[in-house]
Amino acid sequence: MIAIIDDDESVRVAIESLIRSFGFRTSVFASAEAFLASSNMPQAHCLITDVQMPDMSGIELFDVLRARGAGLPVIFITSFPEERVRRRAQEGGALGFLAKPFDADTIMGFVFEALRSRPRPH
Amino acid sequence: MAIKGTRAENGAGSPFFFPVIAFIMAAPIFAVDTLTPLDTAIAVLYVAVIMPSAHFVGRRGVLAVSGGCIALTSISFLIVHQHDWESSALVRLGVSLSAITITSLLTLRNQQVTSALREQANLLNLTHDAIFVRDLADRITYWNQGAEELYGWSRAEALGQMAASLLRTRFPDTPASIQAALLADHQWSGELTHFKRDGTQVTVLSRWSLQMDKAGRPVAVMETNNDITERKRSEAMLQKAQTELAHATRVATMGELTASIAHEVNQPLAAVVTNGEACLRWLGREVPDLGEARASVEHIISNGKRASNVIARLRALARRADPDHMPVNLNDVVEDALALVEREAASHSISVGLDLKAALPDISGDRVQLQQVVINLLMNAIQAMASVSGRAHTLLIATREAREGGGECGALLEVRDTGIGVDPQSAGQLFTAFYSTKKEGLGMGLSICRSIIEAHGGRISFAANADHGMSFTVKLPALKEQVP
Repeated sequence: MIAIIDDDESVRVAIESLIRSFGFRTSVFASAEAFLASSNMPQAHCLITDVQMPDMSGIELFDVLRARGAGLPVIFITSFPEERVRRRAQEGGALGFLAKPFDADTIMGFVFEALRSRPRPH
Repeated sequence: MAIKGTRAENGAGSPFFFPVIAFIMAAPIFAVDTLTPLDTAIAVLYVAVIMPSAHFVGRRGVLAVSGGCIALTSISFLIVHQHDWESSALVRLGVSLSAITITSLLTLRNQQVTSALREQANLLNLTHDAIFVRDLADRITYWNQGAEELYGWSRAEALGQMAASLLRTRFPDTPASIQAALLADHQWSGELTHFKRDGTQVTVLSRWSLQMDKAGRPVAVMETNNDITERKRSEAMLQKAQTELAHATRVATMGELTASIAHEVNQPLAAVVTNGEACLRWLGREVPDLGEARASVEHIISNGKRASNVIARLRALARRADPDHMPVNLNDVVEDALALVEREAASHSISVGLDLKAALPDISGDRVQLQQVVINLLMNAIQAMASVSGRAHTLLIATREAREGGGECGALLEVRDTGIGVDPQSAGQLFTAFYSTKKEGLGMGLSICRSIIEAHGGRISFAANADHGMSFTVKLPALKEQVP
């Protein structure tokens, strides 16, 4: 299952449709908090998350996940790519950091990569 | 004495002029009265010496001339009637002396009234306003020194001319409707454009008052014109400078908002691209999923429109245009502004509370400028909270109908933050240009806000909140007439 977090519904819906068109299951969330609170969270094989969101940002969520020791592959998407944030994401071991709008091939490349390296501790 | 001074000026230059004339006129009367045996009151003709005297000499002079005439009359009588004081001769003497006395008194009185009038007329010359009187046929009957100076036409040239054609008057309304208003109210005032003698154009603030005769019929119009050309020019320049400054600060604000703007534009674009790719995927399946493909295309369309709305909003904000006053709903302005600033608030973990009352009277205003004010207040609030830790970041935006004591109705906006607030020393300077509490602030924001709000006939104020932060309040007057 691919988890998608974006506070913007239209972006959320678009990514979800793209992922489903490849035959993957998806689960969408409007905020990082909603994702963390969800019972679906453990089933996620890959997380696509927006960076700038009200309350908890994508980067903060990433820190929380790493602190919990979850090795969930994370792909960041952002409409305002800042070098500082990109570096932080990469240093933290993020799978990808994409500026919106992005190519389907690029994001799907990361998704496939995440699913290939699936041995994922529960 | 001022009266004497004027008299001497009006007299023909030399101080000997009048005595000579008086002598030339009085001598033949005396000669005829004394030497010819006519049984008539010849001495009555002395009034012809007394009456013009008022024009040349003062009160004492007139009295002296009268005394002289009485003396000459008496001398003639004594010479002619040395012994026989017959009664008819005495009656003729009495008639002559009475005529001379009455004429003297009337002349003195007339002189007094004339000099009072002349003094009043001189007062009209002291003012720098151009004052002239024109009769109902528009012919100029009075023209003061101010009018001579302003228009370059001398009194002699102006008198008798038609005012509107001499000054090539441009009226703010049809002359007929101004005339009607003048007759109805007995006065009118407004801005007129006139041309001076040298062809230059002047704008005057013109006040007209209708003069009536005793029967209440209008007879003339007194027009007092105050040259406001310079004032109009500086007003226009000030407005232009303000428009440019407002534009510059808007652009600067847009610079501060780059992240939010990029987000606003890229978000729908990302949705368009991703939906497009998804659509291709749905169509390219072994069994094309037309339902999904159709949904994707619909999303593409709505996101395309959304992107173009964002661009339109930004273009309006970046445009440099003269203020354009239209009926505006303050709630719409707030929502537009918030759309641009929302991201900024989110990125500083600020929760935005909206309390927009639906029943809000429309105001008359320039949408872009008002939006600028709201953006500015919101950005200030966000920046005031950004550096604060340890308490909730809350931005409250409320609108409601404002009713003043006098029943004047308006729309009110309140922006309330929980930020660092402002220390009492700085509070007095918040609206001052080039004053900023921010490190990189230009100090133009609130100063521009205030001039925009005041240009809209409104007021902007602030207060420290009881707990934390500040509240800014903007009050704008409601639109007077509903534009259909």
